[in-house]
This record gives sequence, structure tokens and C-alpha cells, in this order.
Amino acid sequence: MSSLTGTMWIALSGLEAQQAGLQTSTNNVANLNTPGYSRERPILQEADPIISGNIAFGDGVQVQGIESLRSNLLDLQISDETQQQSNSQAFVNAMNQVQTLFPDDTTGIGAQISAFFQSLNSLSANPSDLTLRQDVLTAARSMASAFNDTSNQLTQTQQQLGLQVQQQTQQVNQITQQIANLNLKLSELSSTGQDYAGFLDQRSALIQQLSGLVDVSQINDGKSLTLTTKGGVPLVVDGQSYSLTTAADSTGTQHIYSAQGDDITSEISGGSLGGILQARDQAIPALQTNLDSLASGLVQALNTAHQEGTDLNGNPGGNLFQSVTGTGAAAAMTVAISDPTLLAAGSDGTSGSNGNIANLSAVANQDIANGLTPSGAYGNLVFQVGSGISSGNTELAASNAMLQQLQQQQASASGVSLDEEASNLLLYQRAYQASAEAISAVNQMLQVVINMGAGS
Amino acid sequence: MRISPTLTQVVLNALNVSDQAEQTALEQMTTGRRVNQASDDPAAAASEVNIAYRMDGCDQYLRSISSLQSEMQTADSSLNSAVTALQNAISLGVEGANGTLSQQDRATLAQQVDGITQQILGVANLSYNGHYLFAGTANAQPPYVADPSVPGGIAYQGNDNVNSVEIETGQSVAANQPGSALFSATGANVFQALSDLATALRNPDGTTDEIGNATTELRTAYDQLDQARAFYGNTVDQLTSVQGFLNSEQVQLSQQQNSAVGVDANVAATNLTNAEQARNATVQAAASLNGMSLMDYLSTTTV
Repeated sequence: MSSLTGTMWIALSGLEAQQAGLQTSTNNVANLNTPGYSRERPILQEADPIISGNIAFGDGVQVQGIESLRSNLLDLQISDETQQQSNSQAFVNAMNQVQTLFPDDTTGIGAQISAFFQSLNSLSANPSDLTLRQDVLTAARSMASAFNDTSNQLTQTQQQLGLQVQQQTQQVNQITQQIANLNLKLSELSSTGQDYAGFLDQRSALIQQLSGLVDVSQINDGKSLTLTTKGGVPLVVDGQSYSLTTAADSTGTQHIYSAQGDDITSEISGGSLGGILQARDQAIPALQTNLDSLASGLVQALNTAHQEGTDLNGNPGGNLFQSVTGTGAAAAMTVAISDPTLLAAGSDGTSGSNGNIANLSAVANQDIANGLTPSGAYGNLVFQVGSGISSGNTELAASNAMLQQLQQQQASASGVSLDEEASNLLLYQRAYQASAEAISAVNQMLQVVINMGAGS
Repeated sequence: MRISPTLTQVVLNALNVSDQAEQTALEQMTTGRRVNQASDDPAAAASEVNIAYRMDGCDQYLRSISSLQSEMQTADSSLNSAVTALQNAISLGVEGANGTLSQQDRATLAQQVDGITQQILGVANLSYNGHYLFAGTANAQPPYVADPSVPGGIAYQGNDNVNSVEIETGQSVAANQPGSALFSATGANVFQALSDLATALRNPDGTTDEIGNATTELRTAYDQLDQARAFYGNTVDQLTSVQGFLNSEQVQLSQQQNSAVGVDANVAATNLTNAEQARNATVQAAASLNGMSLMDYLSTTTV
């Protein structure tokens, strides 16, 4: 049956519910600009009715909890896309440094190859001229040092990227530890039935950060969370995080090891670590290999031609460059002679003959590296580095667009709207006032009842 | 559907896009190039490597041609004076074969022939830029030296070899004629013919027939020299024509380069204007998002 005190309790539950509403709305407004925050709302439920005879009286409202409005599916998609986006971005950043080593115009290896063959042509008009002979040797040295510099700078870039691998692995470890700590808190709170929406937001933001660094796979069964790399290396299992370690191999290259001690360097495919490793372990070595085969092809062909000729003193020519082949050829390329009279320009033993310059010049049109001429092979290197970046840029643009769209979707689900909060605040305020009004009315009625007793 | 309440990110993204477009357009305007890094267009950048290589090659061929031209013009004009001198020697021979001349007159003619010999020797031993022009490839020493043991008294110590210089891709020209083809060819030796003429003129017992024979020998040597020296004139003509070809190839290559990596100035300017307009529009849109919300109305009307 209904009672005045029962009505009072109903009004009181209304006050509490509207207060809960006011508090969440105010909290939403307070977190308007908090990164990673998802808007919250109170879960209100009608209290179980009181059955009196065959009449069921409503018994007010209950606050079930506070829910956070976020989409787990969108979170996962954003995490995946972030991995790709950071991967492309890190790769493009690394290769942009490399690109400057392969200019397509008047500097760099291409220009030096060109200058060397030009100096030979100049010498052919006056083969006994010592100044022109010296010019050829100088051009040969400049060409060799362009190869040396480019190769060394590729190696240096790899080393710098190795430092980044170390730093970013440390960041991964910091984040996985924070996530493990949050997991512990979340399981405590959820076991005692307390509200933990705020911690979910924090954890979600940390997972996005982690996705920017490395490829992450999530297994989330509601309460416990397991994070692994896409290759299955555990990073976080519930309250336990597993640190990755880095160590240099015999060549000084930084490798990444799982907590179990396995080398997982080649497995990392996403995040900025993935992009850095792709540049360091695939793109740059491929360039280095082609650079080496261009250097060794050029050295061999020019040495062969040089040995066919005779020098200014009529002696047969030796090596023009120190003999180098295979890996490291570009870094080791060195001119073998410093005395301009030893340049074998002639073919008949006289000082005035230029008969061997034609052989040396012909190298410019010979297929010396992978079926390409020297300048063709250099053009191919320019193409190789350019097309790597170009396709990285295309992937990056696609990822950026995708990510923006996903973030937009997430914001439309989870973002705080001031308009919405304003109208909610108004509603909660009015409902609060009405409940308070009801209490006041019941109070007056109780007064009437008390006065009835006093008056009789 | 719930509209995303956070427009800031959208505006920032849009600003970022139009900033990038503006930067690209500005870079293209200022550099005049569409391809500023290889990644802008890898294939065009690779073809520019090839074009730049060929342009450098043209520059070099033109330098070599101009150096060859001055050397060959020097050789040609010197040989021209040698040919004139030989014509004079032939006239002296014809004059000497005249039966009315006294031995004294012939001796004077012989002296003049000796002078011509010295003059031609000077031409034959001409050096240019530190090397002797008519010594074949053994051009570090003068090719002709006095040597009483050989007929005519002047021996050739050069060789028969010819240098060739590449003047455009795949095309070379011979850069010299050895003295053995000009002055001391077998059966047409200028020095021997001059010496024979002088000897015949000086011989008091000599006949006019002997002088006539020596003059004929000189004519043969003259014909050989005159023919062989045409090489220089012909090569200079060839060099001039290749020079013209290379100049027009440079123009063509520079057009190719421009179409591979260059940018049309009008297109670049239009792109820049468009990018600027897009950016201004975005900025204006951003400015209109001044954060007005229902909150503002409630605070002024209901409280």
C-alpha cells in the first residue's frame, strides 16, 4: 500500500538519480578537451515496484552505475590503422634522409661519374698534357669519394635508426607496464563492483600509443586483457607486462628480443618500429647492394680497360682503382695511382697516343652492373629510393584518411557535446527541483497529519 | 546519427591538407620544377639522371671540338704556308731548267731552295700546346731532324699513328695526320725532292733534264702534301657541323628535361592561387566555429 513516507523515499531516490546525472554531465563538461575521454552517462533503472494487493506501485529510480560510451570495435580499428600509419610515417621519414644522398641533378655520384668520363674526353685531345692527366685522376678520386660518402652515410643512417629502435623499444616497455598496472586496478575495481570507466579510457589511450610504436594484437574478454605482437609475442597478460630487450649483434646492428629471449626483429611489422626496421633492414641494404655492384662493376671495367693501355713512359697500365668486389665495394673504392704519368692513356707506347682513352670511355656505355651502364645504374638507384618513398607516401595518405575517418566516428560516439550536456544539465536540474518540490509537498502533508493529532 | 561534436580535429586536418597543397605549389613556383625529390616522380627523376648525363656529355664534346678546331686551324694555316713555299720552289725549278741561265744564277736559285727547305722544316716541326703536330703519336720530340745518312739529309723520327677523339656519342674523328703522310711519304718526300732540286741546281755538270726531273719529283711531293693537308680543312668542317648538331641536341635535351621534371609556370601559378583560396576558406570556416553552444544561451537567458 502507498504511504507518505514511501512517497518521500521515492522523491529522495529521484534526488539521488538527478544528482548522479548532474555529476556525470558536469564531469563530461570538465573533460571536454581531455584526450581519450569518452562521454559518460548514468544508467538509471526503475526500482522494483511494491505490490499491494493487485496494484503495483512504482518505487522510484535506482542508479545502476555510470557507463562510458565507447565502441570497442572502433578502438580496435583505430589501433590497427594507427599501426599502419605510424609504420608508413616512420619509413618515409627514414627514407627521406636517404633520398638526399641520391640527387638526380648536378651533384652526387651521378654527376661525378659524368665528370670522370668528361675528363677522359678532355684528355683525348691532348693525351700527353700532365694537367689534363691530373684532372682525370682528380675526377677519379672525386668519383671514388662520392661512392665512399654515399655508402658511409647509408651505414650511418642505419646506425641512427638502430638508436631509434632502442629508444622506441624502451617506450614500448614503459607503456606495457602502465597497461599491466591499469589491468590490476581494473580487476580490483570490477571485483568490488566499483565504477571503472575512467580507467578504461586511460587504458585505451595507452593501447593507441602502443599501436603507434609496434604491431599489437588484442584479446579482450571484457575484464582481462592480453596484448601480443601480431607474431604472438606476449606484451601484456592481465596484470603482467613482458619487457622487450635490445642488443647489438657482432656487426653493431640492434636486434629486438622477446622476454623469452627470442630474436623477434624480423617479425615486427607495424608501428613506427616496424617502419624503422623496414627502412634499416630492407630498403637501405637493397640500396647498398646495388651501390656496391655499381662500384665494383665500374672498378672492374675501368681496370680492365686501363690495363690494355700504356702509360706516359710506355709501360703497360696497372690498376686504375684498387680492386674491390661485392659487399663494401662502394665504401672501399680508392684510386690506385697518384702519379699522372702512370695513367695508361696510350695504346702504342708513345707519350702522344690516346688510343686507350677510347677503351676507358667505352666503359660509360658498357653494361657493368645488373645489365645497366654506369649512369643507367645510378638512375636506377634514384628510381629505387624515390619509388620506395613514393609508395610509402601513398600508403601514408591512405592511412591518414582512414584514421581521420575512424577518429571522426569515434568522436561522434564518444565525444562530449556542450549542447547535449547543457540540455541534460537543464533536465537534471528541473527534475531535481521537482523531486525536492515533492518532498516539500509530502512534508506539508505530514504536517497536516501531525496537526490532526494535536488538534483532537 | 549523432554528429561528432569535436570539429577542431576536422578543421586541423583540413588546414593541414591545404597547407601541404600550398607548400607544394609554392615549391613548384620557386624552383620551376615539378619533381623536387625523386619521390615526387621516381621515373621522371631517373630519366633526368640520363638527360643530365647526356647534357654534360654535350658540353664536354663541345669543349673538345673547340680545342680540336683551334689546333686543326693552326695546322691547316701552317700547311697552307708550306704549300705556297713549295709552289715557289717548283717555280724556282722551272726557272732553273731554263738553258740560258748561268751556273751562278742556278747557285742563287739553289740557295733560295735551301731557304724554302728550312721554312718547310719549321712547319713540319710545328708544336702546339706542348706537342708536335706532325709526329704521329710520338709527338714529344720534333719529328724531323738533320741526318746526313738518309737521302735528302732530313730523317723522320715520328710514327705513322693517328689519335682519334670522340666528338659525339659513338662518333670519333682522327685528330692528326702524321708527317709520314704529309712531308715524307714514300715516293713523295718533300725534303728529298727539295734536296735533289738544290743538288741538281748546284751541279756544274748537270743538265737541264736533271733539274726538270727534280722539279717533277717536287711536284709529286707537292701533290701529296696538298692532298693530305685537305684532311685538316675537311675535319674542321666536320667539327663545325657536329657542333651545330650538339647545340641543337642541347636545346632538345633541355626541353626533354623540362617536360620530365619541370612545371608549366601558368599551371604552378594557378595551383598556388587555388591552394591559397582553399586555405583562406578553411581558416574562415575555422574562425566561425567560435565555440558557441547552448550553454551560452542558457547562461544569459535562464539564470
